[in-house]
Amino acid sequence: MCEYSGRLIAWLDQELPDQEAAHVEGHVARCAECRLALSAYKEVSVAFLSCYEGTMAIPPPRKTKLWVGGGLAAAAAMLAAIFIPLPPAEKISFHPPSPPPAPIVAASTQVHMRHRYAPAPVRRPWIAEEPMVQVALPAEALFPPGAVPQGFSFIADVRFQQ
Amino acid sequence: MSGDLLPWALPLARFQTGDHEATTLFRELRKPLLRYLVCLGLSSDEAQDVVQDAFLSLHRHLSAGGPQENMRSWLFRVAHNQARNRQNSYDRRFGAPLADADGAAKVLDEATPERVLLEKEKFQRLGNAIRTLADGERECLLLRASGLRYREIGDVLGIATSTVADTVERAVKKLAEKCNV
Repeated sequence: MCEYSGRLIAWLDQELPDQEAAHVEGHVARCAECRLALSAYKEVSVAFLSCYEGTMAIPPPRKTKLWVGGGLAAAAAMLAAIFIPLPPAEKISFHPPSPPPAPIVAASTQVHMRHRYAPAPVRRPWIAEEPMVQVALPAEALFPPGAVPQGFSFIADVRFQQ
Repeated sequence: MSGDLLPWALPLARFQTGDHEATTLFRELRKPLLRYLVCLGLSSDEAQDVVQDAFLSLHRHLSAGGPQENMRSWLFRVAHNQARNRQNSYDRRFGAPLADADGAAKVLDEATPERVLLEKEKFQRLGNAIRTLADGERECLLLRASGLRYREIGDVLGIATSTVADTVERAVKKLAEKCNV
Protein backbone atom coordinates (compact mmCIF):
# COMPACT_ATOMS: atom_id res chain seq x y z
CA MET A 1 0.00 0.00 0.00
CA CYS A 2 1.25 3.44 -0.90
CA GLU A 3 2.62 5.53 1.97
CA TYR A 4 0.40 8.44 0.92
CA SER A 5 -2.83 6.45 1.13
CA GLY A 6 -3.53 7.66 4.67
CA ARG A 7 -3.62 11.29 3.58
CA LEU A 8 -5.71 11.02 0.44
CA ILE A 9 -9.11 11.67 2.01
CA ALA A 10 -7.87 14.60 4.06
CA TRP A 11 -6.35 15.98 0.85
CA LEU A 12 -9.64 15.40 -0.95
CA ASP A 13 -11.37 17.36 1.81
CA GLN A 14 -8.78 20.17 1.58
CA GLU A 15 -7.87 19.65 5.21
CA LEU A 16 -4.10 19.36 4.79
CA PRO A 17 -1.70 22.27 5.33
CA ASP A 18 -0.65 23.91 2.06
CA GLN A 19 2.82 22.41 1.95
CA GLU A 20 1.65 18.88 2.68
CA ALA A 21 -1.21 19.26 0.21
CA ALA A 22 1.28 20.20 -2.49
CA HIS A 23 3.33 17.08 -1.72
CA VAL A 24 0.26 14.84 -1.96
CA GLU A 25 -0.86 16.54 -5.16
CA GLY A 26 2.51 15.96 -6.76
CA HIS A 27 2.49 12.34 -5.67
CA VAL A 28 -1.04 11.68 -6.94
CA ALA A 29 -0.03 12.92 -10.37
CA ARG A 30 2.59 10.15 -10.49
CA CYS A 31 0.88 7.31 -8.60
CA ALA A 32 -1.81 5.30 -10.41
CA GLU A 33 -2.70 3.40 -7.23
CA CYS A 34 -3.52 6.62 -5.38
CA ARG A 35 -5.49 7.98 -8.33
CA LEU A 36 -7.59 4.82 -8.35
CA ALA A 37 -8.17 5.03 -4.61
CA LEU A 38 -9.05 8.72 -4.90
CA SER A 39 -11.57 7.96 -7.59
CA ALA A 40 -13.28 5.40 -5.33
CA TYR A 41 -13.28 7.82 -2.35
CA LYS A 42 -14.77 10.57 -4.49
CA GLU A 43 -17.47 8.30 -5.85
CA VAL A 44 -18.52 7.00 -2.47
CA SER A 45 -18.43 10.52 -1.00
CA VAL A 46 -20.70 11.81 -3.76
CA ALA A 47 -23.05 8.87 -3.30
CA PHE A 48 -23.14 9.47 0.45
CA LEU A 49 -23.91 13.14 -0.18
CA SER A 50 -26.75 12.22 -2.55
CA CYS A 51 -28.09 9.87 0.06
CA TYR A 52 -27.76 12.55 2.72
CA GLU A 53 -29.35 15.32 0.68
CA GLY A 54 -32.10 13.04 -0.57
CA THR A 55 -33.17 12.01 2.90
CA MET A 56 -35.46 15.00 3.32
CA ALA A 57 -37.15 14.28 -0.02
CA ILE A 58 -38.29 10.90 1.16
CA PRO A 59 -41.49 10.73 3.16
CA PRO A 60 -41.22 9.17 6.59
CA PRO A 61 -42.22 5.54 6.83
CA ARG A 62 -45.95 5.06 7.13
CA LYS A 63 -47.06 3.96 10.54
CA THR A 64 -49.47 1.07 10.13
CA LYS A 65 -52.53 1.42 12.28
CA LEU A 66 -53.18 -2.15 13.19
CA TRP A 67 -56.56 -1.42 14.71
CA VAL A 68 -57.78 0.12 11.43
CA GLY A 69 -56.45 -2.83 9.47
CA GLY A 70 -58.10 -5.21 11.89
CA GLY A 71 -61.37 -3.30 11.62
CA LEU A 72 -61.28 -3.41 7.84
CA ALA A 73 -60.60 -7.11 7.86
CA ALA A 74 -63.46 -7.68 10.28
CA ALA A 75 -65.81 -5.57 8.14
CA ALA A 76 -64.80 -7.40 5.00
CA ALA A 77 -65.39 -10.73 6.69
CA MET A 78 -68.78 -9.55 7.94
CA LEU A 79 -69.82 -8.34 4.49
CA ALA A 80 -68.67 -11.56 2.91
CA ALA A 81 -70.73 -13.49 5.39
CA ILE A 82 -73.79 -11.34 4.69
CA PHE A 83 -73.68 -10.80 0.95
CA ILE A 84 -71.70 -13.62 -0.57
CA PRO A 85 -72.91 -16.84 0.94
CA LEU A 86 -70.99 -19.78 -0.37
CA PRO A 87 -73.18 -21.70 -2.82
CA PRO A 88 -73.61 -25.40 -2.37
CA ALA A 89 -70.90 -27.39 -4.06
CA GLU A 90 -73.22 -28.92 -6.63
CA LYS A 91 -74.21 -25.50 -7.97
CA ILE A 92 -70.71 -24.44 -8.89
CA SER A 93 -70.38 -24.59 -12.64
CA PHE A 94 -67.95 -23.32 -15.20
CA HIS A 95 -69.15 -21.02 -17.95
CA PRO A 96 -67.56 -19.37 -20.97
CA PRO A 97 -66.40 -15.79 -20.43
CA SER A 98 -69.36 -13.76 -19.35
CA PRO A 99 -70.44 -10.39 -20.79
CA PRO A 100 -69.69 -7.32 -18.72
CA PRO A 101 -71.72 -7.21 -15.54
CA ALA A 102 -74.84 -5.14 -15.35
CA PRO A 103 -74.42 -1.52 -14.32
CA ILE A 104 -74.43 -0.68 -10.68
CA VAL A 105 -77.94 -0.62 -9.31
CA ALA A 106 -78.74 1.60 -6.43
CA ALA A 107 -79.56 -0.27 -3.30
CA SER A 108 -82.25 0.79 -0.93
CA THR A 109 -79.65 2.45 1.28
CA GLN A 110 -77.40 5.29 0.21
CA VAL A 111 -74.93 4.15 -2.44
CA HIS A 112 -71.48 5.71 -2.66
CA MET A 113 -69.24 5.73 -5.67
CA ARG A 114 -66.38 3.27 -5.55
CA HIS A 115 -63.21 4.88 -4.28
CA ARG A 116 -61.25 5.97 -7.31
CA TYR A 117 -58.09 4.23 -6.13
CA ALA A 118 -59.86 0.97 -5.42
CA PRO A 119 -58.70 -1.85 -7.68
CA ALA A 120 -61.06 -2.91 -10.42
CA PRO A 121 -63.04 -6.02 -9.58
CA VAL A 122 -61.42 -9.21 -10.74
CA ARG A 123 -63.23 -10.74 -13.73
CA ARG A 124 -63.58 -14.41 -13.09
CA PRO A 125 -64.80 -16.29 -16.19
CA TRP A 126 -66.35 -19.08 -14.14
CA ILE A 127 -68.69 -16.78 -12.28
CA ALA A 128 -72.32 -17.41 -13.19
CA GLU A 129 -73.98 -15.27 -15.82
CA GLU A 130 -76.85 -14.23 -13.61
CA PRO A 131 -77.29 -10.48 -13.38
CA MET A 132 -75.05 -9.06 -10.75
CA VAL A 133 -75.87 -6.24 -8.40
CA GLN A 134 -73.19 -4.26 -6.69
CA VAL A 135 -74.13 -2.95 -3.30
CA ALA A 136 -71.99 -0.31 -1.71
CA LEU A 137 -72.07 0.34 1.99
CA PRO A 138 -70.43 3.55 3.16
CA ALA A 139 -67.61 2.88 5.58
CA GLU A 140 -68.91 5.69 7.78
CA ALA A 141 -71.94 3.54 8.51
CA LEU A 142 -69.76 0.76 9.88
CA PHE A 143 -67.03 2.59 11.76
CA PRO A 144 -66.81 5.53 14.09
CA PRO A 145 -65.93 8.87 12.48
CA GLY A 146 -62.29 9.15 11.55
CA ALA A 147 -61.54 5.44 11.74
CA VAL A 148 -61.64 5.00 7.97
CA PRO A 149 -60.57 7.52 5.30
CA GLN A 150 -63.45 9.57 4.01
CA GLY A 151 -65.11 8.31 0.87
CA PHE A 152 -64.39 4.63 1.38
CA SER A 153 -67.17 2.21 0.71
CA PHE A 154 -67.39 -1.52 0.87
CA ILE A 155 -68.65 -3.08 -2.35
CA ALA A 156 -70.43 -6.41 -2.43
CA ASP A 157 -71.25 -8.23 -5.66
CA VAL A 158 -74.59 -9.90 -5.21
CA ARG A 159 -76.14 -12.50 -7.49
CA PHE A 160 -79.67 -13.74 -7.21
CA GLN A 161 -79.94 -17.38 -8.06
CA GLN A 162 -83.12 -19.20 -8.78
CA MET B 1 -33.46 42.64 21.91
CA SER B 2 -35.96 42.56 24.69
CA GLY B 3 -36.03 39.46 26.78
CA ASP B 4 -39.75 39.37 27.49
CA LEU B 5 -40.94 37.92 24.21
CA LEU B 6 -42.68 34.61 24.15
CA PRO B 7 -40.10 31.87 23.70
CA TRP B 8 -41.63 30.47 20.54
CA ALA B 9 -41.69 33.91 18.95
CA LEU B 10 -38.07 34.66 19.68
CA PRO B 11 -36.25 33.40 16.60
CA LEU B 12 -38.61 34.99 14.09
CA ALA B 13 -38.91 38.23 16.03
CA ARG B 14 -35.17 38.39 16.34
CA PHE B 15 -34.63 37.99 12.64
CA GLN B 16 -37.22 40.63 11.85
CA THR B 17 -35.33 43.15 13.91
CA GLY B 18 -32.39 42.77 11.57
CA ASP B 19 -29.94 40.81 13.65
CA HIS B 20 -27.59 40.13 10.80
CA GLU B 21 -25.58 37.36 12.45
CA ALA B 22 -28.59 35.37 13.56
CA THR B 23 -30.42 35.93 10.27
CA THR B 24 -27.47 34.70 8.28
CA LEU B 25 -27.06 31.67 10.49
CA PHE B 26 -30.74 30.87 10.30
CA ARG B 27 -30.84 31.09 6.52
CA GLU B 28 -27.61 29.19 6.10
CA LEU B 29 -28.03 26.46 8.67
CA ARG B 30 -31.70 25.75 9.19
CA LYS B 31 -31.97 23.21 6.38
CA PRO B 32 -28.61 21.52 7.01
CA LEU B 33 -29.51 21.22 10.68
CA LEU B 34 -32.89 19.70 9.86
CA ARG B 35 -31.30 17.28 7.44
CA TYR B 36 -28.61 16.27 9.91
CA LEU B 37 -31.18 15.64 12.64
CA VAL B 38 -33.41 13.58 10.37
CA CYS B 39 -30.38 11.54 9.36
CA LEU B 40 -29.67 10.96 13.04
CA GLY B 41 -33.09 9.35 13.27
CA LEU B 42 -35.40 12.12 14.41
CA SER B 43 -38.80 12.60 12.81
CA SER B 44 -39.41 15.81 10.86
CA ASP B 45 -41.45 17.22 13.74
CA GLU B 46 -38.79 16.34 16.29
CA ALA B 47 -36.12 17.86 14.08
CA GLN B 48 -38.13 21.07 13.75
CA ASP B 49 -38.44 21.22 17.54
CA VAL B 50 -34.74 20.69 18.06
CA VAL B 51 -33.81 23.33 15.48
CA GLN B 52 -36.22 25.77 17.11
CA ASP B 53 -34.66 25.07 20.50
CA ALA B 54 -31.17 25.42 19.05
CA PHE B 55 -31.91 28.87 17.67
CA LEU B 56 -33.59 29.80 20.92
CA SER B 57 -30.37 28.81 22.67
CA LEU B 58 -28.47 30.86 20.12
CA HIS B 59 -30.56 33.87 20.99
CA ARG B 60 -29.89 33.41 24.69
CA HIS B 61 -26.21 32.89 24.00
CA LEU B 62 -25.92 36.07 21.97
CA SER B 63 -28.10 38.03 24.40
CA ALA B 64 -25.83 36.99 27.25
CA GLY B 65 -22.85 38.34 25.33
CA GLY B 66 -21.38 34.92 24.62
CA PRO B 67 -18.53 34.53 22.15
CA GLN B 68 -19.56 34.73 18.50
CA GLU B 69 -16.80 32.60 17.02
CA ASN B 70 -17.51 29.22 15.48
CA MET B 71 -21.26 29.67 15.68
CA ARG B 72 -21.82 27.06 13.00
CA SER B 73 -20.25 24.28 15.02
CA TRP B 74 -21.89 25.76 18.15
CA LEU B 75 -25.34 25.35 16.62
CA PHE B 76 -24.62 21.86 15.36
CA ARG B 77 -23.29 20.88 18.78
CA VAL B 78 -26.44 22.12 20.54
CA ALA B 79 -28.67 20.34 18.04
CA HIS B 80 -26.57 17.18 18.16
CA ASN B 81 -26.70 16.99 21.96
CA GLN B 82 -30.44 17.56 22.01
CA ALA B 83 -30.94 14.88 19.39
CA ARG B 84 -28.84 12.41 21.36
CA ASN B 85 -30.93 13.13 24.41
CA ARG B 86 -34.09 12.34 22.51
CA GLN B 87 -33.15 9.05 20.95
CA ASN B 88 -30.39 6.96 19.51
CA SER B 89 -32.09 5.25 16.63
CA TYR B 90 -30.33 5.85 13.34
CA ASP B 91 -32.06 3.62 10.88
CA ARG B 92 -35.39 5.26 10.41
CA ARG B 93 -34.94 7.08 7.14
CA PHE B 94 -31.33 7.67 6.27
CA GLY B 95 -30.05 5.15 3.76
CA ALA B 96 -32.85 2.66 4.02
CA PRO B 97 -35.37 4.21 1.59
CA LEU B 98 -32.80 4.32 -1.18
CA ALA B 99 -33.15 0.59 -1.53
CA ASP B 100 -36.21 1.09 -3.68
CA ALA B 101 -36.35 2.67 -7.09
CA ASP B 102 -38.77 5.37 -6.01
CA GLY B 103 -36.38 6.52 -3.32
CA ALA B 104 -33.49 6.53 -5.75
CA ALA B 105 -35.54 8.48 -8.31
CA LYS B 106 -36.24 11.16 -5.75
CA VAL B 107 -32.58 11.44 -4.92
CA LEU B 108 -31.22 11.49 -8.44
CA ASP B 109 -31.49 14.67 -10.48
CA GLU B 110 -32.96 14.23 -13.92
CA ALA B 111 -33.28 10.54 -13.26
CA THR B 112 -34.19 8.35 -16.18
CA PRO B 113 -35.67 4.92 -15.53
CA GLU B 114 -32.48 3.34 -16.81
CA ARG B 115 -30.34 5.40 -14.51
CA VAL B 116 -32.58 4.68 -11.57
CA LEU B 117 -32.20 0.98 -12.21
CA LEU B 118 -28.46 1.30 -12.56
CA GLU B 119 -28.15 3.32 -9.39
CA LYS B 120 -30.55 1.22 -7.38
CA GLU B 121 -28.10 -1.53 -6.62
CA LYS B 122 -25.39 0.95 -5.75
CA PHE B 123 -27.68 2.72 -3.31
CA GLN B 124 -28.71 -0.58 -1.81
CA ARG B 125 -25.10 -1.43 -1.13
CA LEU B 126 -24.43 2.04 0.20
CA GLY B 127 -27.46 1.90 2.49
CA ASN B 128 -26.32 -1.46 3.83
CA ALA B 129 -22.77 -0.19 4.27
CA ILE B 130 -23.94 2.95 6.09
CA ARG B 131 -25.79 0.82 8.60
CA THR B 132 -22.60 -1.05 9.42
CA LEU B 133 -20.75 2.13 10.39
CA ALA B 134 -20.14 2.91 14.03
CA ASP B 135 -22.13 5.84 15.42
CA GLY B 136 -19.08 8.08 15.52
CA GLU B 137 -18.13 7.25 11.95
CA ARG B 138 -21.63 7.96 10.71
CA GLU B 139 -21.82 11.23 12.61
CA CYS B 140 -18.48 12.36 11.21
CA LEU B 141 -19.59 11.60 7.66
CA LEU B 142 -22.93 13.33 8.15
CA LEU B 143 -21.26 16.46 9.49
CA ARG B 144 -18.72 16.30 6.68
CA ALA B 145 -21.61 16.10 4.21
CA SER B 146 -23.12 19.13 5.96
CA GLY B 147 -20.06 21.07 4.91
CA LEU B 148 -18.32 21.29 8.27
CA ARG B 149 -14.54 21.34 8.46
CA TYR B 150 -12.73 18.69 10.49
CA ARG B 151 -12.08 21.23 13.25
CA GLU B 152 -15.79 22.05 13.43
CA ILE B 153 -16.74 18.39 13.46
CA GLY B 154 -14.38 17.94 16.37
CA ASP B 155 -16.11 20.82 18.16
CA VAL B 156 -19.53 19.29 17.60
CA LEU B 157 -18.60 15.80 18.72
CA GLY B 158 -16.12 16.84 21.39
CA ILE B 159 -13.15 15.03 19.86
CA ALA B 160 -9.77 16.10 18.51
CA THR B 161 -9.36 17.20 14.90
CA SER B 162 -6.86 14.40 14.30
CA THR B 163 -9.42 11.90 15.58
CA VAL B 164 -11.95 13.32 13.13
CA ALA B 165 -9.47 12.87 10.27
CA ASP B 166 -8.81 9.28 11.28
CA THR B 167 -12.51 8.53 11.70
CA VAL B 168 -13.49 10.06 8.35
CA GLU B 169 -10.72 8.18 6.61
CA ARG B 170 -11.71 4.89 8.21
CA ALA B 171 -15.40 5.42 7.41
CA VAL B 172 -14.87 6.42 3.78
CA LYS B 173 -12.56 3.48 3.19
CA LYS B 174 -15.06 1.17 4.80
CA LEU B 175 -17.86 2.45 2.57
CA ALA B 176 -15.70 2.26 -0.55
CA GLU B 177 -14.74 -1.29 0.31
CA LYS B 178 -18.28 -2.45 1.06
CA CYS B 179 -19.73 -0.66 -1.97
CA ASN B 180 -17.00 -2.17 -4.12
CA VAL B 181 -16.22 1.06 -5.94
